[in-house]
Amino acid sequence: MSKNGSTTKTSAPCETCPAHNVGNLKKLGINMDDWDYVVALAGNPNTGKSTIFNALTGLHQHTGNWPGKTVTRAEGGFEYGGSRYKIVDLPGTYSLLSTSLDEEVARDFILFGQPDVTVIVTDATRLERNLNLVLQVLEITNRAVVALNLIDEARRHNLTVDERRLARDLGVPVVPTAARSHEGIPELLQAIHEVATGKVVGKPHRIQNEPPALKKAIQQLVAEIEQAFPGLPNARWVALRLLDGDRRIIEAVKRGELGDLSIGSTERVNSIDMPLEVA
Amino acid sequence: MDNQLWLYLIIFLGGVVLAVLVLQLWRVIEHRWKEKKEMTSRISIEDTLKHFYHCERNQETPLPESVAGILRTSVADATDVLTEMERHQLISRAGNRWQLTDSGRDYALQVIRAHRLWERYLADQTGFPESEWHTQSDKLEHKLSHEETEALANRLGHPRFDPHGDPIPTADGRLPEAKHISLAALPVEQPAEVVHLEDEPEAIYRQLGEHGIHLGTVLRVLRRGDDGIEVWLPSGTVQLTTAQAANVSVEPIAESEIVLPEPTVPLSALKPGEQGRVVNISPACKGAERRRMMDLGIVPGTIIKAEMVSPSGDPTAYLIRGALIALRREQASLINVSRNLTPATEQTPSQNEVTA
Amino acid sequence: MTTPTDPEKIESILSTAEKLRWDIGSNFHDHLMEAIYTDAARIADRAVSYPEKPPRFDLDRTIDRLVTSRVWGFPLMLLLLMIVFWLTISGANYPSQFLAWLLLDNGHPLLKTLAADINLPWWLSGLLIDGIYLATAWVISVMLPPMAIFFPLFTLLEDFGYLPRVAFNLDNVFKKVGAHGKQALSMSMGFGCNAAGVVATRIIDSPRERLIAIITNNFSLCNGRWPTQILIATIFIGGLVSAQWAGLISAMAVVGIAVLGVFFSFAVSWGLSRTILKGEVSTFSLELPPYRPPRIWQTIYTSVIDRTLIVLWRAVVFAAPAGAVIWLISNITIGDAVLAQYFIDWLNPLGLLVGLNGIILLAYVVAIPANEIVIPTILMLTTLVLGSGGAGRGVLFETQSLGDTAALLQAGNWTLLTAVNLMLFSLVHNPCSTTIYTIYKETGSLKWTTISALLPVVMGFVLTFFVAQVWHLLV
Repeated sequence: MSKNGSTTKTSAPCETCPAHNVGNLKKLGINMDDWDYVVALAGNPNTGKSTIFNALTGLHQHTGNWPGKTVTRAEGGFEYGGSRYKIVDLPGTYSLLSTSLDEEVARDFILFGQPDVTVIVTDATRLERNLNLVLQVLEITNRAVVALNLIDEARRHNLTVDERRLARDLGVPVVPTAARSHEGIPELLQAIHEVATGKVVGKPHRIQNEPPALKKAIQQLVAEIEQAFPGLPNARWVALRLLDGDRRIIEAVKRGELGDLSIGSTERVNSIDMPLEVA
Repeated sequence: MDNQLWLYLIIFLGGVVLAVLVLQLWRVIEHRWKEKKEMTSRISIEDTLKHFYHCERNQETPLPESVAGILRTSVADATDVLTEMERHQLISRAGNRWQLTDSGRDYALQVIRAHRLWERYLADQTGFPESEWHTQSDKLEHKLSHEETEALANRLGHPRFDPHGDPIPTADGRLPEAKHISLAALPVEQPAEVVHLEDEPEAIYRQLGEHGIHLGTVLRVLRRGDDGIEVWLPSGTVQLTTAQAANVSVEPIAESEIVLPEPTVPLSALKPGEQGRVVNISPACKGAERRRMMDLGIVPGTIIKAEMVSPSGDPTAYLIRGALIALRREQASLINVSRNLTPATEQTPSQNEVTA
Repeated sequence: MTTPTDPEKIESILSTAEKLRWDIGSNFHDHLMEAIYTDAARIADRAVSYPEKPPRFDLDRTIDRLVTSRVWGFPLMLLLLMIVFWLTISGANYPSQFLAWLLLDNGHPLLKTLAADINLPWWLSGLLIDGIYLATAWVISVMLPPMAIFFPLFTLLEDFGYLPRVAFNLDNVFKKVGAHGKQALSMSMGFGCNAAGVVATRIIDSPRERLIAIITNNFSLCNGRWPTQILIATIFIGGLVSAQWAGLISAMAVVGIAVLGVFFSFAVSWGLSRTILKGEVSTFSLELPPYRPPRIWQTIYTSVIDRTLIVLWRAVVFAAPAGAVIWLISNITIGDAVLAQYFIDWLNPLGLLVGLNGIILLAYVVAIPANEIVIPTILMLTTLVLGSGGAGRGVLFETQSLGDTAALLQAGNWTLLTAVNLMLFSLVHNPCSTTIYTIYKETGSLKWTTISALLPVVMGFVLTFFVAQVWHLLV
């Protein structure tokens, strides 16, 4: 299919904004037929995830100053640096450990959909709480980028966030953004591109403060899992889920789906069955 | 004329449809009635099995009289049920002693498994109040096939304990032995943690809750008298009757495992502008509600500041890890905070692992 | 595709996990969350530096103190709501009149002439232009302008961050009936359009309270029903008193109906939370986000696209077939009367029993798609039954003046009871089909959709029946 024909549909009011003349971003709206990389957008509710999604794709997902506006999964696309990206806006969640449907959708996509990059959108003014989700995602995947969004709000409140320190502690790229004014979007694209193409390989932080009894159980289980599925990137996380009795993961282990995860391929994204409307 | 013909035709058609409907309805009712009859006999058998199982564990002998009491029928009817069960080789009889056969014991464990799974389900995935878990499960436990029970277990993430702390028998019929002792038998001064609360009779269960005794509560016996015991709890001292104490199972813990009794207040006691450090979330806060609170960042050690009260008196907005979150009074009263913002000693992660 | 993994190893992993689970105790989840937050706090601590001394003036808190203050909180809230409603009602008038002039007064005759010019058979031009086109155009001209004003205004308040404070202020009231404070917002949204109100319940993240908000949203008197209320109140209630008081009294009657709707919302919420919804999971959390300056143009653009047009599109999809049905039942003749006549005769006994009549009931049946066309349908059917000329059969119309409408309805044997019960029934009846469809989409459950659709209509019949019987006793 022609790569040029598909840009016409969107007539974003902001196409003349300087941010979009930078780099070689081409917003593809929803006209995505094939893609080179898949990007998942995760984050707490009300951190501006949808605003970032809109900035990247030129779509107009409704945003609002409320947690939980995005209930349906939104998909869009963009082209950057000669590669085509499909981007999936996941429902905003506080955690991936609980049992709500939203969390399952987000968790399943990050784990089984195997996006090439997971962008975790955080609210720079409430970093501590947002890190809860970041740390959980980093247990699952090392191909992640943290968008430190609402950095303008943080500045307004005289907060300074040392993003380089944060990047070092988390072990993945961290990009400060203010999606509403398109600040930091070029840098975010660059970071996504680098992680997708494998130029930057993350060494993500793993949770360390479990109580000793738990630690021992995890170690024992991880050893067994790694032996059965060599090359699995998140054996430790799988162990945690098995200990919690997570039915989805138990099934995945039983059906050998887990083995697939160690190969890594983008095609599988299509086969993941995600409910479009979440009740 | 033509007009009338239409009318008759429609009335006739309407009549036919109605007749078919009535017939269908009758069939459904008949089917239901038959099902209900079968159900009643299943319920009697399963309830009797449970009774036998409890008797066996408490080394008592089940009698037709006690079965009649459980089933709320006459002794004659109870004897009928026992005969029926004997025919199915669920129980056997030697003289006047009835006892479970192996297959009867397996069946009993399956019923108990279904009961405790339902309780877990009601606690975690519905909004029913705690007082209704047991009675609802008593009905629901009879309604599932073996496959459906397993599907339920799967859906719940194969839980190990029911919300009262009782272990759930495994699918292959093992009941992990609990290493509990009764509070009535706990040596004086020995610190212990509550690991199980008997949910029957309900009145005592409720009284214990009112005394502040929940799963996970740390306590020690201060004095043992003839009519009861005096128990120390982090929230104060309470007097328990022997009957009440007998319904609490505890597990002794080492002195070092007690989290130092910190003077705490419920979060709801903070006035706007005041701060507190979370010491724990009350064990009474369970299921979705508890997970949501933790997702919001309310874990031991979190500093919370009360910011403002709604003009209608409730809820109150609290500053929690940088976010302004409104909690209702009932919720805030389940979070225990200390006004002392820095913990006295380096806080050791509170643990209660079941030592193998 | 599957890498062969030794099934024995898999079995052993699962059994090890099962065994270990008994060892790690039941507080696994608590411990894990605590561990994650401990790490999170340490990392955040190292990365974030706070201002040396806290700012002397914190704008957010100052606004918060004001909008949630005991003295100013509620008056401010009422004032803002009144401004929004006033802007919507007064602002929508002109575009509404313009659209009616364009689509109904001029567009319709134009199309008819066009159809005559190309020799379209009468039944085809009737079905397409008098039926489908007219009903759709009617819905658009009544529905579009208020929604295009109401939704952007609401969205501006939302983007600024004020709406969560409204939920905060009102939560105690909603708590008492087992609902969530955020229901205040979906209810307000329902005054614009119930379908949009149902969508707005997404912000309620507790299943039980969300279902309550969905099922009761219909009791918010929506934009499509206000004109009915105002018209009937003006003719029948206003007509009871002398001309100088007429305006005030009829306005009070309409407001009274809206308030009654709010009361029903609360009463039904209370009932639901204690009966059929008792077992649904209920958690409460309400985050008060920081205030953010709204971006006005972007907001107007997205709210028009997102809410107004989508809701409008759905309404049109449902209104077009309704137009066709209305036209068909008033033009298909069996024996010596049109189909509509039969339906009306059958419905009449039931209608009279509940103090209404067959025409009104039939109008509500065919106008399920959109409440906007109830009054035009009633007027058309009344003319049809009376056999007095007017416009063509099955052509929706509004009379030139209020007096004409009053005369027509009185000729149709309307009494004060009919008027009062119509006002009540208009408030308490099944949601329009757009809303029913939206409820199905949002809940994904046939059960809750059925309950939301049937509960109010049953309540409506009971209520009107009761009023009618008492009325007959007293009058």
